[in-house]
Amino acid sequence: MAKIIVNATHKGGEGKTTNSIMLAEYAAIILGLKTLIIDMDPQANFSGRYIPMEYDPAYKGGKIPSLHPDFEPDKDVGWDGRSSIANIFYGEEVIPYPTAIKNLELLPAHSIKLQEAEAVTKNEVLEKVHLQLKRFLELEDVKNSYEIIIIDTPPSKGPLTIAAIKAATHLVIPAQMEQFSIEGIYGMLQLWKQETYCRAKDNPLNLVGILPNQFRDINLHKSFKEDLSQRKGISDYLMPHFIKKRAIYTEILVENANPKSIFELSTKDVARIEYESACRYIMEKVMAHG
Amino acid sequence: MAKKKSFQINHSLASGLEETITAAQSYSGELRVDVIPLKKIDLDPANPRDLAVTPQDLFHGLSKEDVFFQRKNEEITSLQSMANSIQEQGIINPILVYKYGEHYRLVAGERRTLASILAGKSDIQAKILDGKPSELKLSLLQWIENIERSDLSLWEKLRNLNKIISAYADIENKSLEHVTVTELSRLIGCTKPYAMSYKAVLTADEDIKQLIFENKIKNLEKAAVLASITSAETKQQAIHACLMGMPLKKLKVLAEHGKKERTLSLNHLPVHRGRQARAVNFGSTKNMQVAKLIIESVLHNKTLSYLAPYFKEANLNNYQSITSTFKNLIKKLEELNE
Repeated sequence: MAKIIVNATHKGGEGKTTNSIMLAEYAAIILGLKTLIIDMDPQANFSGRYIPMEYDPAYKGGKIPSLHPDFEPDKDVGWDGRSSIANIFYGEEVIPYPTAIKNLELLPAHSIKLQEAEAVTKNEVLEKVHLQLKRFLELEDVKNSYEIIIIDTPPSKGPLTIAAIKAATHLVIPAQMEQFSIEGIYGMLQLWKQETYCRAKDNPLNLVGILPNQFRDINLHKSFKEDLSQRKGISDYLMPHFIKKRAIYTEILVENANPKSIFELSTKDVARIEYESACRYIMEKVMAHG
Repeated sequence: MAKKKSFQINHSLASGLEETITAAQSYSGELRVDVIPLKKIDLDPANPRDLAVTPQDLFHGLSKEDVFFQRKNEEITSLQSMANSIQEQGIINPILVYKYGEHYRLVAGERRTLASILAGKSDIQAKILDGKPSELKLSLLQWIENIERSDLSLWEKLRNLNKIISAYADIENKSLEHVTVTELSRLIGCTKPYAMSYKAVLTADEDIKQLIFENKIKNLEKAAVLASITSAETKQQAIHACLMGMPLKKLKVLAEHGKKERTLSLNHLPVHRGRQARAVNFGSTKNMQVAKLIIESVLHNKTLSYLAPYFKEANLNNYQSITSTFKNLIKKLEELNE
């Protein structure tokens, strides 16, 4: 069965998308696993790295996926040629996009459709949104096509994040070692706790851990990390790796960047070693669980 | 000299993190909902029942010979409207069962189960426990299930909590008052400050409890502040202020300062701004005589006579040399007082 990793925290700017990218590329390029990536964030940044996204003509600032490469306007009647993960909330078919990376397929975001799903408040509908991604990923077709699925979430504790958490087998919380970020961890742990209460014991939501991110050599970051590692209970979930704040991690995101991925860097490059060890740690934990 | 900055994660936040993780681990899977066949659900013979009708009656039909025929028939009629709504929408809250061999035994949800059979359903949503739950376990389950519900009043939460503590005290063989805050926070998986507030409110005077019961006091922390006040006069003032909507922070100040309430203003709030002080600053003076006086008083102190040789040459005639002498003096004193 496919392992499903979700990167989540409701505070923005912690490195959810970057971490999703690194894990996805590590799984597909380095491990050669059949990988599906899912972008649940209406900002659609994750999607934009792998396929061209277009501005939504109907909704200023929103993004929609470009036409699917397999779309044939003459034959595919009744399909507008675009497909996004948001379709699952509207009972529409979902067709993954191939990417330039072998083994890596994408279900992109659709800003307005995702936002509408996120804005649902009626209880009956809400429950459907919460469970929809899980139901989709449990389909035989989906389950058997991939070995690993990586979900990027919006910076919120709303229905989309909950849907991702309900669907996942593993949770990763990237966080800076700063006040608001630690509060963000607390918020995410509440979701994890609630979900853990509800899961069957043989199908838990495994908390892989907190990944200290954008770490700088300053007293605040060092003290907070040290503080967390000193606390029984938390220390088990604080990853033994951390990611420093480096220009390269954002440089690779620029259009036409060279290198485009940290996995194109020399294996001796410190940045590659740093992030690759974190990815290896996460993936080993993920693949080890039942 | 540059000061070394030092940071620590706020204590309650850090313990909140720890406690959340522990709670998640200890109650993992406890609220799992599954769909189970109605045919596999048995009544628990140890549980007292209100109804006479059994699932078997509904599966096989009532027999006229049954001594309770009349009563059971009435019960079935009364279950009918629930059965109708179940037919349309299913049940809203899952029933609670525990595993008993191949079957399940009911803990809660008898009417929902019977009505579902009546509605012609073949299965039902249920929370499944591994074994028959104790009184304590049941109230704890209720607690972790309800804690996220915002529609529960403070009174209802306190009532649940009271059940938990009584059941726990029973098992531990101690009186209610002797259940500690630590035990409470561990039991219900909340932070210690929170548990402390709960405990304070549970032992509050009747007048405060009455206001909570009437839903006039809805905030746990505020109720805890009120419960902590010993002076009757201050308490009345604070209760009044609370009912008028005084914010928690001010209410705390009022509780602490009691009678000074009239002169309350922001200036009276205990304010600690900025980084924690880690050194004493002796201030500065333009008056050389004052500075000299301080230094000489120390040097003339008989118990500190060992200092004298170091400062024989000291020049106390200008700002700079006085300052450096003073610094040296402090350094020497620090060395000898480590």
